[in-house]
Amino acid sequence: MKKKILIDIANGLLLARWKQTLVAAVGVTFSITMFIALLSFMSGMNDLLDGLIINRVPHIRIYNDIKPNTHQPITLDSNYKNAHHFISSIKSDESRQSIYNSAAIMQAIKKDNRVLGFSQKLTAQVFFNDGNIDITGSMSGINPVEEGALFHFEDYITAGKSQDLTKINNSIILGKGLAAKLLANIGDVIQITTSKGERFQLKVVGIYQSGLRDIDNVQSFASVSTVQKVLSKPSDYITDIQIKLKDITQAPAMAKEYEQLFQTDAEDIQTANSQFETGSSIRTLISYSVGITLLIVAGFGIYNILNMMIFEKMDSIAILKATGFSGRDVQNIFMYIALSIGIFGGLCGLLLGFGLSSIIDQIPFNTAALPTIKTFPINYNPKFYLIGMVFSFFTTYFAGWFPARKASKIDPVIIIRGK
Amino acid sequence: MSNTILEAKNINKYFNDPIRIQVLSDINFSINKGEFVSLTGKSGCGKSTLLYVLSTMDTDYEGQLYIDQEEMPKKNEPFLAKIRNEKIGFVFQFHYLLNEFNVLKNVMLPGLKQNKYSEEEVEFRAMEKLKILGIEHLALKQANHVSGGEKQRVAIARALINDPHIIMGDEPTGNLDKKNSDLVFDTFKRLADEYNQTLLIVTHDPSFAERTHRIIHMEDGKIIHS
Repeated sequence: MKKKILIDIANGLLLARWKQTLVAAVGVTFSITMFIALLSFMSGMNDLLDGLIINRVPHIRIYNDIKPNTHQPITLDSNYKNAHHFISSIKSDESRQSIYNSAAIMQAIKKDNRVLGFSQKLTAQVFFNDGNIDITGSMSGINPVEEGALFHFEDYITAGKSQDLTKINNSIILGKGLAAKLLANIGDVIQITTSKGERFQLKVVGIYQSGLRDIDNVQSFASVSTVQKVLSKPSDYITDIQIKLKDITQAPAMAKEYEQLFQTDAEDIQTANSQFETGSSIRTLISYSVGITLLIVAGFGIYNILNMMIFEKMDSIAILKATGFSGRDVQNIFMYIALSIGIFGGLCGLLLGFGLSSIIDQIPFNTAALPTIKTFPINYNPKFYLIGMVFSFFTTYFAGWFPARKASKIDPVIIIRGK
Repeated sequence: MSNTILEAKNINKYFNDPIRIQVLSDINFSINKGEFVSLTGKSGCGKSTLLYVLSTMDTDYEGQLYIDQEEMPKKNEPFLAKIRNEKIGFVFQFHYLLNEFNVLKNVMLPGLKQNKYSEEEVEFRAMEKLKILGIEHLALKQANHVSGGEKQRVAIARALINDPHIIMGDEPTGNLDKKNSDLVFDTFKRLADEYNQTLLIVTHDPSFAERTHRIIHMEDGKIIHS
């Protein structure tokens, strides 16, 4: 009942100056709309660009690096155990590139419940022969089903089917640039030469486009067993195990753990692609700053309008106080005005923001670099709507608080005697 | 003295800006229930200042103020607001109606604030007060659509809504022509005579003062006779 009377008075004041009220609310609406649209779009773009890398890059990669052996003869000599060794002209040793005991490692990884999944991979350097031209390229042996599930492999297949790699013997998927150079289409047979001089005929079953031109010019894919055959290696010959985790932030710690456990090299995504983290966090920061600046400007609008309203309604405030409304009641009335402007404007802003994002989502966006993207990317994360609402609430709260406090401090005697 | 409504004891007040001047010195008097008192004096003698001290809106004074035999604290703003709401009705020179609301709602506001009766009852009581003042036909008009004399009567109805112990007026007829002044005076007189309403009215109109029950005359911040 007591609250109702305050709300009644606030409504009366609001409606008496409805044009100003509307202008203030439109200010909030506009800023929230832009905040939502900007963040949804920026975040969608960020996800897309990060996805270019993160989708295709394993969280942890287990491999054998080419490097000098850490166990040099001198380190094994017990006489010099605590000494500092100076060794010159060390060479990286040509130890095996395949992962030792890969089957057992894969068994262990499969049992680790922090792991979402893994795929095996091996790489061969080959020459693609076209008449008397040899094009240097790389051929990755993959399991297309696992690769598709974990690294969205089929998103980058612009023609053909990735599953055909396993269904059709001696088949290959070519990078788009590579296929163009070889003038090869799906169904054509191409010839490759290995570094050891052996020749193979492979049937093209698909075209791959990553969006990174340098990769598309040299990369090709075949099934694991095809590449093992090309390299004349046994069926346990694997050079990489690519792991995807349930929680990407655990990658650096787990990479170290696996390095210890399996006595191989392990690289985590954060170390391998640190620049992407920086890029997206800067972009996010910029979008938030712009959005919050818009909101603060809207807050000043509310502040001005309330100040003006209080100036105009001095008499009303004086008589309310004279007839028994306390300073607190007066403050509540003006806070109610500010918050109703903020909440009404904010809710409209959320709806319009959603609308604007949906419109942006329909705008065509075709780029050769991103074969699967047809329109501008939008991230409809409810988090943005929540942040927008919370911020509109707080900015209007503070924008209302100062004028409301001023109103509560008005001395009715001064107003009434001043007449 | 159980029917004393308002009592002032040794009230002194100073203005400090720009220099310290004593505006009220040693004010002592009391008002009993049902009295119609006028407070007169020349401009600047401190009569309005005294009224605002008595109204509890001005708390910057020395001495004690008793309303309904209860001493008024000087600091507790919400408590004083409640006292004004329940025990004092105000009529000022200017009507101070809220233009956003109609006449009835203006009269109801202090009643709704008091929160003693339901909204329907407050509305009924407000209509009663308007009837006493003969302006019930204006109830649903917007406050800014009624004439000056009518506005002042609406303000009186608003002052009456919570059945206050005392009505305080600061030159309530100051802005009105002769006809409306008489009308307002007659209203006060009728309230005092018929409803036993206590009134304390500041005025510099001698003809107004003469017709009240009691005149408190002030000069230079002191009460000359009461």
